[in-house]
Amino acid sequence: MKHKYVGVVLLLAVLMTNIIVTQYMVHQYFYEHYKNSMLAAIVNAVLFFVAFLIYKMDKKGMSANE
Amino acid sequence: MTDKNNKIPFNEDNYTHNINRNHERELDRRGFMKMLVGAAGVFAVSSLPWGVLAAKELNGLTDKKYPKHKITDVKSIAVGDAVDFAFPGEHDSAILIRLAENEYVAYQNACTHLRCPVFWDKKVEEMICPCHHGKFNAKTGEPIAGPPRRPLPEIQVKVENGAIYAVRVKRYEA
Repeated sequence: MKHKYVGVVLLLAVLMTNIIVTQYMVHQYFYEHYKNSMLAAIVNAVLFFVAFLIYKMDKKGMSANE
Repeated sequence: MTDKNNKIPFNEDNYTHNINRNHERELDRRGFMKMLVGAAGVFAVSSLPWGVLAAKELNGLTDKKYPKHKITDVKSIAVGDAVDFAFPGEHDSAILIRLAENEYVAYQNACTHLRCPVFWDKKVEEMICPCHHGKFNAKTGEPIAGPPRRPLPEIQVKVENGAIYAVRVKRYEA
């Protein structure tokens, strides 16, 4: 795998985690496990920052290579 | 930087890739990554209301308090009888049934099918909806016959100083 696609793969992994966590959150809400639901919502928010950081790092790494 | 994308297709003489627009939208690797980050952002934003609602539920929305409401005196309701009242609002009609000497149950009496008022049939010891003959178990409020599929919302009652009070509506459990 080319080095420049590491970021893409990482982001895809983040997005998959997003999907899983979102479904978990909704289900836990309806099961009335509100703490789990809140936790999942926070994880989703944190994942966005992680994704953003991955993107930033990728941008930086690529401009260093150019 | 801005013309970088324009060089990507072909630099040769051809008839298909000969339109060069600056800032042409193009899904390159970085654009794709931007899209993924955006999607993660959408997930984050859309999960906020769930978190807020869950927090609200944790902060006592679960146990909504109403001022306790006197239904009737113990003396005026015989065992096996029922009395209608309204709780928590004046339009939320409800029914109190005295099943035994010290056993009272109360439900909001709007049938869970089409909200007809359910009444207590003393002979068969069931709550019956007159509209479509839905029947409910008096002990649990669960539907036992007819079109309704969901139980009646239960109201908690308390006996104090010879009077019966409605205290709160139990949370609906699906």
